Amino acid sequence: MTTNAQRSSVDDELLIAILDRLIPAVDDLPSAGQMGLTSEIVRLAARQARFNNVFENAIDSFSSENPKFTSSNGDQQDDAIRSFESVSPELFGALLSIAYIVYYKDSRVHVRIGWEGRTPQPDGNDMEPWDESVLETVRKRKPFWRSVD
Amino acid sequence: MTKNNGSLEEETVDILVVGAGASGGAATAWLSEAGFKVKCLEQGYWQDPSKYASASQDYEFEMMTNWAPDPNMRQRDEDYPINDSESPVTPVMFNGVGGSTILWTAHTPRFHPSDFRVKTLDGVADDWPVTYDELEEFYDLNDEVMGCSGINGDPANPPRSPRQMPPLPLGTDGKKLISGFEKLGWHWWPSDSYINSQRYGEGRDACNFCGHNHMGCYQRAKSSTDLTYWPRALRSGAEIETGARVRRITTDDSGRATGADYVDSKGNERHQSARAVIMAANGIGTPRLLLNSASDTHPEGLGNSTGLVGKNLMFHPFAMISGTFPEKMKTWQGPLGNIAFSQEFYETDKSRGFVRGYTYQFHRSLGPAWIAKGGFRDPVPWGKDHHDVLEKRLGSVMAMAVIGEDLPEHHNTVDLDPELTDSNGIPAPRIRYTLSKNSRDQLDHAIENAKKALEAAGASDIFVDPMMRQSGWHLMGTARMGDDPAESVVDKWGQSHDVDNLFIVDGSVFVTSAAVNPTPTIQALALRTADYIVTSRQDLKG
Repeated sequence: MTTNAQRSSVDDELLIAILDRLIPAVDDLPSAGQMGLTSEIVRLAARQARFNNVFENAIDSFSSENPKFTSSNGDQQDDAIRSFESVSPELFGALLSIAYIVYYKDSRVHVRIGWEGRTPQPDGNDMEPWDESVLETVRKRKPFWRSVD
Repeated sequence: MTKNNGSLEEETVDILVVGAGASGGAATAWLSEAGFKVKCLEQGYWQDPSKYASASQDYEFEMMTNWAPDPNMRQRDEDYPINDSESPVTPVMFNGVGGSTILWTAHTPRFHPSDFRVKTLDGVADDWPVTYDELEEFYDLNDEVMGCSGINGDPANPPRSPRQMPPLPLGTDGKKLISGFEKLGWHWWPSDSYINSQRYGEGRDACNFCGHNHMGCYQRAKSSTDLTYWPRALRSGAEIETGARVRRITTDDSGRATGADYVDSKGNERHQSARAVIMAANGIGTPRLLLNSASDTHPEGLGNSTGLVGKNLMFHPFAMISGTFPEKMKTWQGPLGNIAFSQEFYETDKSRGFVRGYTYQFHRSLGPAWIAKGGFRDPVPWGKDHHDVLEKRLGSVMAMAVIGEDLPEHHNTVDLDPELTDSNGIPAPRIRYTLSKNSRDQLDHAIENAKKALEAAGASDIFVDPMMRQSGWHLMGTARMGDDPAESVVDKWGQSHDVDNLFIVDGSVFVTSAAVNPTPTIQALALRTADYIVTSRQDLKG
């Protein structure tokens, strides 16, 4: 559950604007900022204190360096993000990682890219069984490990 | 019982084992089955496989936070911080029953016979005081307990006993990557893996190819010592205390080990007395504790009269070379790093401009978020190209990890950080490591050949990470073994030259690193040390 305390430290409008530039609209999907992902980003970040600190620092730092970001045009916003990426790679990396994680866990995205979307377990996957015939060529090679005798 | 210093005293045991991972589990089981009274102190806890994050909707987030292999990122209460600011490689590990076998890929090749004779054969580093032939029976015993999937006939390795299970499937993706090696006439062989290709062991299913056993295996198909050695150890009477963080190994006036001071899970200061102590806390944790155990009789740290404790730290610096194939191959199906390997360039060929050699370990790639974040390469770009690049990479990226032989160098060290401590105030380790020219030359050679193999297999958009930062899985050399007490910390049985009732069984004792994943060798050495105690140190039994 997301608490008000968790939400209060992140500027929703700013996060939406950043997401819109990171992951633009495609096919019938809107850009990431318009998909209502910010509350999930804030919830997920709060699952670990270390990450949450980095994430909140990223937003705070970006906000203080770009006070007019939300009112800038797209090219200006891209320039601001590129600058942040260059100057603060760790902070930007955290922001980008959680944006990607939350975007690609969204069922609308799964439909578009043809991703099944379930968790890796408990069902796992199927694979063709081991077939020894693949060794036909390599088995013909003479032993070449180095003897120590 | 309460000691004079106010700490709580436990009943004396024959053997105190510090650390419940790969080597601690093996040594404890062997000794307790032989009738020794053994207790293990483990700072972490038991894991419940049904709660591993691979079944959680948040698994992608958990992978980089609460289940990250880097303790500095994971930051659980049971982890200790590591100052790695002077190392291009970040040490990775897990603290808990099973140790790093909880998060490992379980890729389990053996050393080659030549790996134990590098001084004689190549004039570098030192020979081991142990040979492949002497260790082989313990490799076999360990395979039987852990369960090895694989197949005989590899021309790059000596003949050996049959594995317990057939190899894991190669998959469409694996076969594709292998096709490049076949075209070039280069060696490859299906991986030896401690992952069940069929049911094996106690309550352990076959792998269901979820692709995420590096976050702990929900299926119990991947072998970890909490599922293999520890049930045996506990049945034979061994005791394990979890949440027990060792502060120091204690000694008497003569300098012999008497047990350990530790902090229990409730924060109480305690002492466990023992007739002997076995260190199994990995190549960083063990030197850290030995250095923290300095005393009047061991002023430089326990077992450290040579000053070699913490010296000669070896990682296997990893390069990672990935390529994108035109085909969609469901690369997220199957264990991430357990397809096949190549040892075409393993043995020394001085015409290459370096000594020793390297292994390629073939890797898959995972789902869309993992791909977008980069996986084994650069992240998918944000902005207008994002969707096109993601589409190209998803299900199509394969990678080759280079595991090069890192040679020991005195200046690569673990020591105690002057300021950093864990949550109990115990000084934390500091790592100082630089990559040698020989290792760099190896990696560069491997990178060029990996590009050839990927291209021969049909890949393009090849990306090179010349040395992965978060790749310090293999922690070796910081309390090396040897016959000469002036040049080594322990003898060929893992027994301290300085303290005859102190043993080390983790990767610290490695003389050299070979160019393969080290855990089967660590465990074989641990079993050998335990067997030595059983056969030659009955004086340690109360």
